[in-house]
Amino acid sequence: MAELATPPPPPTPAPAPAPKPPANVMPPEKAVPAGIRKVFAKHTEGTLLPNRLWPTDVWPNPWKSASYRRGALVLSALILAGTGAAFFLREIGVPLAALRETLHRFAEANLPQVPSWAAEAVWILAKALVVLHIILFNGLFLVWWERKISAHMQSRLGPIFTGKWHGVLQTAADGIKLLLKEDAAPKEKDSWLHSLAPALVFVPVLICFTPVPWGRDLEAANLDAGVLYIFAWAGLSVLGIVLAGWASANKYSLLGGLRSAAQFVSYELPRSFSLVPLIAIAGSLSLTKIAGYQEGYWFGFFPKWFLFYPVVGQISFVIFLIASVAETNRTPFDIAEAESELVGGFHTEYSGMKFSIFFLTEYAYVLLASCLLTTFFMGGGAAPLPFLSVLPSWFWFLGKTLFFMFCFLWFRWTFPRFKIDRLLDFNWKFLLPWSFVNIVLALPYIYLWKL
Amino acid sequence: MIGYFQTIYRGFADTFKGLAVTWRHLFKPSITVNYPLAKLKPYERFRGALLFDAVTCIGCNLCVKACPSDCIALENQKTPEGKKIAKVNWYSIDFGKCNFCRLCEEACPTKPKSVWHSLDYETVFYARNQMSRIWQQGNPWMGTYYDAGEKIYKTPEGDQIPIEEIPSRR
Repeated sequence: MAELATPPPPPTPAPAPAPKPPANVMPPEKAVPAGIRKVFAKHTEGTLLPNRLWPTDVWPNPWKSASYRRGALVLSALILAGTGAAFFLREIGVPLAALRETLHRFAEANLPQVPSWAAEAVWILAKALVVLHIILFNGLFLVWWERKISAHMQSRLGPIFTGKWHGVLQTAADGIKLLLKEDAAPKEKDSWLHSLAPALVFVPVLICFTPVPWGRDLEAANLDAGVLYIFAWAGLSVLGIVLAGWASANKYSLLGGLRSAAQFVSYELPRSFSLVPLIAIAGSLSLTKIAGYQEGYWFGFFPKWFLFYPVVGQISFVIFLIASVAETNRTPFDIAEAESELVGGFHTEYSGMKFSIFFLTEYAYVLLASCLLTTFFMGGGAAPLPFLSVLPSWFWFLGKTLFFMFCFLWFRWTFPRFKIDRLLDFNWKFLLPWSFVNIVLALPYIYLWKL
Repeated sequence: MIGYFQTIYRGFADTFKGLAVTWRHLFKPSITVNYPLAKLKPYERFRGALLFDAVTCIGCNLCVKACPSDCIALENQKTPEGKKIAKVNWYSIDFGKCNFCRLCEEACPTKPKSVWHSLDYETVFYARNQMSRIWQQGNPWMGTYYDAGEKIYKTPEGDQIPIEEIPSRR
């Protein structure tokens, strides 16, 4: 028992081979072995500044920071370069029409054996491909942009490595990753519907872009019932979402799908009704005609955009904007995929390419909503001031669309999520009645201005 | 009726207030840095990984007694007659137990301190035996660890920037 009284020896390591006699004072650089210093020299060189300010110290006057000034310069240069490019490119609707003529003449002259509609079919196919790629590249850009905007709103940096410059290729890398990923799905899934749902979500949004007027003579097709066409097809997307929820055999997915059905169906009403005054005033359902109606200026300088019609325009705009955010399934209306409540909502059980199609669709709807807002309320490709019409219409359309897309990102990273009952209350008790009131308020415009 | 419109007004006003906050933050420089490429140096009193200098240590055991989590162990050198002298033979700190409280540094009687907190916040371990740092005469301040598999002492691995090169050694 005497052994217990003595303290157990510490975990003694075997004594080292006799070290060489130490110097009296160890120089401070010996603190780190030379091997480690060499390996990480590239990481440490010039980065660890002994007198570096903490980032919050820069906040009172960020212009003192050289990187901030450089960033502002690069951003201004990018905007200026875009403007310059637009100035020199001019209207691209004109050369495109010439290209179509050339195609037709080429087909008539050189290929007599093909039927006469073949050239037009090729042209339509080309337009469809262009629209598809607009959606795809919009996804690439908007995901990156959202990540950067959200990061900066939260005082972070966001993706910074991939693609050398501020992570521009981050989304491409993510896309490749999603493409190569295993398609993991639950065993109990309804496999037909599970595969069908992403397609059913994506195809309507592709079709919805048909009547969007990207600029003067730049729409894929000038449909007389464009507004109706867009809302009809966009309404089909909800079917895919409900199917995705149903086919996943997962209670969270099902709840997300049902919630999104309730939300879509509800918010489509004020979204459509808020446009009734505009349609009545412009006298057309064609997006091209609606955009064209808003060209021109009051008093020679004030744009005739529907947004600036007193009272009616603003109420319409606010209702349409809110309903659009709800229709795109984004915060503060993202109860369909509420991460904190429903895991992922209707796309909980989706992975790989199927998931990325849902993702792509969400961003395509953001683009569509921005395009519609631009067309209906900001005059499409009309320049905000008369002398600015030296820049082509597609440039103004793109600029306004980007502004609205930024607004969507801005809302997403500012507002918390609605509860489902508040969400529906807000729609049925606030937006819908006010959209009816708005129609009544628009009567004077219709009778005094049109008759 | 007035209350209804007041509610609507307040709702919109608060909405814009929230938007203004995120708008202001959008144009502020980020408070994070591009970590592996740029690193922040912590403030002087930051308690990073412990460093040890076997040359100045007198082996007085005060740090061992001060340590609340019992992570320090040491052994004095001995004369050929078996008498302890004020030099340390080996000294070990188990970072798995250490709670970075600075009590050992405060207890240390030597000047400059023989055991002290560096500014190194990047102490990483790939294996459990790497958590136990061991110092002997002639070892760098970072110490070594005993690789139980190969039965040799090794310098610590990991993506460690030598922030301790600017030590706050008192």
